[in-house]
Amino acid sequence: MSLLPIKTVDRLDRPSAYYAGKNKRRRDDRDIEREEETNKRLEGATTLYVGNLSFYTTEEQIHELFSKCGEIKRLVMGLDRFNKTPCGFCFVEYYTHQDALDCLKYVGGTKLDERIIRADLDTGFEEGRQYGRGKSGGQVRDEYREEYDPGRGGYGRAYDEQRQREDEEYGQGR
Amino acid sequence: MADYERRNNGYRGGGGGRKRRYRDDDDYDRRPQRRKYEEPLFVQVRRQLLTIAESAVRRVEDDIVGIAKSVAEHYEDEELRDTFINISLDLVREQPMKIPFVAAITLVTHNLKPELGAEVLKKAGGLLQKYIDTGAWREVKLLVRFLGCLQAMFEGDGVFPLLEEFFARAVDLQTASSEDLLGLELVKIILFTIPYVMSSPATGFETQASALLDKTDIIASTPHALVDLVNTFSPDENKEAAGPSVISLMQTQLQAEAGRGWELKCLPRPWKSVQESNEDESKPFEVASKIPFPEINVPNPVLHGSHPLFPEVYLSVYADQDINTVPPTSDITSSLLREVLVDTINLLDFNRVATAKYLIDIDCYFTPHTFVKRATTFDRMRDLAGEGQSWKPEDVAVDAVFSQLYQLPTPEHKLVYYHSVLTECCKIAPAAIAPSLGRAIRYLYNNLQTMDLELSNRFLDWFAHHLSNFGFTWKWSEWIDDLELPAVHPRMAFINGALDKEIRLSFAQRIKGTLPEPYIPLITEGKEKDTPEFKYLSESKSSFFTNIASRKSHLTTWKVTPYSKEGQELNQLIRKKAGDDEIQPVIAAIEEQAQDLGVEDPKVPSTDAFVTSICFAGSKSLSHVLSCIERNKERLLAIGPASQAARCQIITSVMEYWTDQPGIAINIIDKLLNYTILSPLSVLEWALSENMAAGTILAKPHIFEMISATVGKVTNRMRQIVTARTQPGIYEPQLSILDETLSRERADMQSLFRFIEDAIVSVAAGSNDEQMERGDGSGDLPEDAIIRQWGRRWLRVFRRKAGVEESFINGALVNATPVGTVAPQQDTPATEDGDVQIEDADNQ
Repeated sequence: MSLLPIKTVDRLDRPSAYYAGKNKRRRDDRDIEREEETNKRLEGATTLYVGNLSFYTTEEQIHELFSKCGEIKRLVMGLDRFNKTPCGFCFVEYYTHQDALDCLKYVGGTKLDERIIRADLDTGFEEGRQYGRGKSGGQVRDEYREEYDPGRGGYGRAYDEQRQREDEEYGQGR
Repeated sequence: MADYERRNNGYRGGGGGRKRRYRDDDDYDRRPQRRKYEEPLFVQVRRQLLTIAESAVRRVEDDIVGIAKSVAEHYEDEELRDTFINISLDLVREQPMKIPFVAAITLVTHNLKPELGAEVLKKAGGLLQKYIDTGAWREVKLLVRFLGCLQAMFEGDGVFPLLEEFFARAVDLQTASSEDLLGLELVKIILFTIPYVMSSPATGFETQASALLDKTDIIASTPHALVDLVNTFSPDENKEAAGPSVISLMQTQLQAEAGRGWELKCLPRPWKSVQESNEDESKPFEVASKIPFPEINVPNPVLHGSHPLFPEVYLSVYADQDINTVPPTSDITSSLLREVLVDTINLLDFNRVATAKYLIDIDCYFTPHTFVKRATTFDRMRDLAGEGQSWKPEDVAVDAVFSQLYQLPTPEHKLVYYHSVLTECCKIAPAAIAPSLGRAIRYLYNNLQTMDLELSNRFLDWFAHHLSNFGFTWKWSEWIDDLELPAVHPRMAFINGALDKEIRLSFAQRIKGTLPEPYIPLITEGKEKDTPEFKYLSESKSSFFTNIASRKSHLTTWKVTPYSKEGQELNQLIRKKAGDDEIQPVIAAIEEQAQDLGVEDPKVPSTDAFVTSICFAGSKSLSHVLSCIERNKERLLAIGPASQAARCQIITSVMEYWTDQPGIAINIIDKLLNYTILSPLSVLEWALSENMAAGTILAKPHIFEMISATVGKVTNRMRQIVTARTQPGIYEPQLSILDETLSRERADMQSLFRFIEDAIVSVAAGSNDEQMERGDGSGDLPEDAIIRQWGRRWLRVFRRKAGVEESFINGALVNATPVGTVAPQQDTPATEDGDVQIEDADNQ
């Protein structure tokens, strides 16, 4: 809409470093190519990945907030691979690219259910992507988290197991 | 998360974070020391330019001179030259508060190296021409302002001939049509250029300025027919609060300022201090070599541009305080600050963090005594009030955001953008901003009765959303007395609506915990239930439910739960994803029973059982209910055409099942509209004729929300069709097909608006049948006046909406290819099928 190429201030509606940094070990020409390729795939994207949700946040709550940027075409909750319960992320699909960009600008980084949520442009939902990829079924980040997060199942699961094991062993040692 | 922080802090392109304000400093200190390296000069100048005037510690005139010297001394450095010119003009168009400073740099540079000044002007002139040709009037305004600040550089009258030409075009447009708005836009450009010329180092232009002002008076001071319609307050409801139009206000203020020798005390004169830092203080800033004003061609007639134009009204949410914290409308400072803040807000929508930062830093960009110190409390303002008053920067900033949030008919960006700016402001400076917001909220709350209804709903939406970002803390205690008011009172409607919206973003128990005791009864038991009861399950409860329902629906009163066995069966069938062949017998059984019981339309109880079962089976989440609807789509689609009463019953069943969580109900209605199971008209009929309840339904915020959304769907579709019809390169036969669709849909839209008008006009007049029957029929019940007012406020909103849409269509069709136009050559790959895209919109 605006004739201005933006130069004096950064934009918030760019894809995050996540896509660019995906699978990247050493920066070489192929990486740059790949980066351009993903950026191309995100052109016209209407889907957002939304992260850092509480496990208790409902579809309705997400709908209420995200529809402020435009009508929502589809909402896919991220689920624990084994329990099929929400595991803290979702995909929000709009009808237009502009709505998705506006959402990055206006909603990403604000609070939902009293947590700061993260929104990222996404190439589009595909069957299977709604499940957590962590070892125990949830998101990977919830495996090793050392802080207690009541909205996301307490301690990281792997971390928690280790803690409990240590506790037990400590008891046995006595 | 880390990601966000990184992105947000980088509001200033090109790296470098030498600022030490707010949250930045923690981050900065901890960072390990980098290896020192010499940065190229152009990078350094770029950074200095981008951050010009941002520091409250550095002397801006030192930076101005520093930049000017760097670029003048290294004139041969092409990269530096380009950076300087481009960034300067980018700042003009993106950060208008910095225009006087950028202009000062240009002036000083010009004196050091006239070639460079000429190059800046050449580029600025080219850009200006481009914006004039495309009708981008805000950009035109900003570039002309920049040139106005440079008036001293020009031979002869400088910017004035261009302003005169704008005025001539405005006169033509105004003479051609009294509805013209483009002419007003041109006058606005003139009015908001003059003060910058008069505060520039140029002298001796008082006569030109006054002469121009005398001419603009007639256009600026004549109220446009639409002003009342876009006023925050309808003059019929609250004449006092209805604000003046932005340009009429500016006209008056400029005339007063002319009489005061163009004091313009808030506008910075950075060039002046540059001069003072040299030895001779009394010497005015002089430009050594004058150059001609860039040649600009203003087409006749000028172009409209892509932005829809409407008159703007001056709103201040701090208008009725006992002491002024923002400049009053008698002071030109009010318009000057507001205008440049509004542009800043709207131009920087792509980075709300930067916007918020510039709003908080507003005191850096005006003369030092314009504002009191940041975070000065309201009580302290009381002590400071009086002669030579300064204003509270937070209030001025917040006021500007609200002016956009409450812009009618619609602001430039989505409402949620303005929400997010206020949220960021609060995050950057919570202690300073929160009290300002508090007073704004009080003003809006106190004026709910007479405020435009659309705006009071925006207020509701913002309020709940804002609180959701700050732990839902609000001083509810101050409104406790209002809980005594009747439910239809606008304040009670607001309180109930706000709590409902808070719950939608959170959950009932959480919100309950934030409320003082007297509010607790408002959070009913039903609101705390995730799954509302299924009326066919419990016999005693359900008879109670149907009694309520039967008051409105076509059921006769029942002693025992009707159709409870069938209702439960339906629920089971829907849950196990049964096919229609299994559902049909149960429906038939209900209809048979109903027939025996003498129910007028047996489809009503069967629809009720069916839709209620879908709601119950799908109560777990929106996707659940959507898949239930999807699976039973055919049956649902068949209900509407078969019976008007059953069609209505679909809505009744949804609304009743989710009566405690209306947000979910209207969401489901919305999806049913997308499936075309419901028609827009049926939603309007349900609310405004079947359930009008003597006009009391108009007091329910979620009903307004539902009707607005429904009408919005129709008008959006209409706009898509108009866009398809008017896109270039469309020829016959598509042209005729699109034109027919357009005419048909336009007529439908008009009849929709007519329906609303007819339904509400009687409520507004107090002649609605049910309304007359209430009480003793005198229409004098205390609530009657309130209800009539609701009626008037609804009418105003939808009349405006109808008018806006009509003018959009008419405006768009002016330049449309006429029907009958054939493609110039057969082999042109005509844009396939003109209406493909519209069809999609249907099945959303």
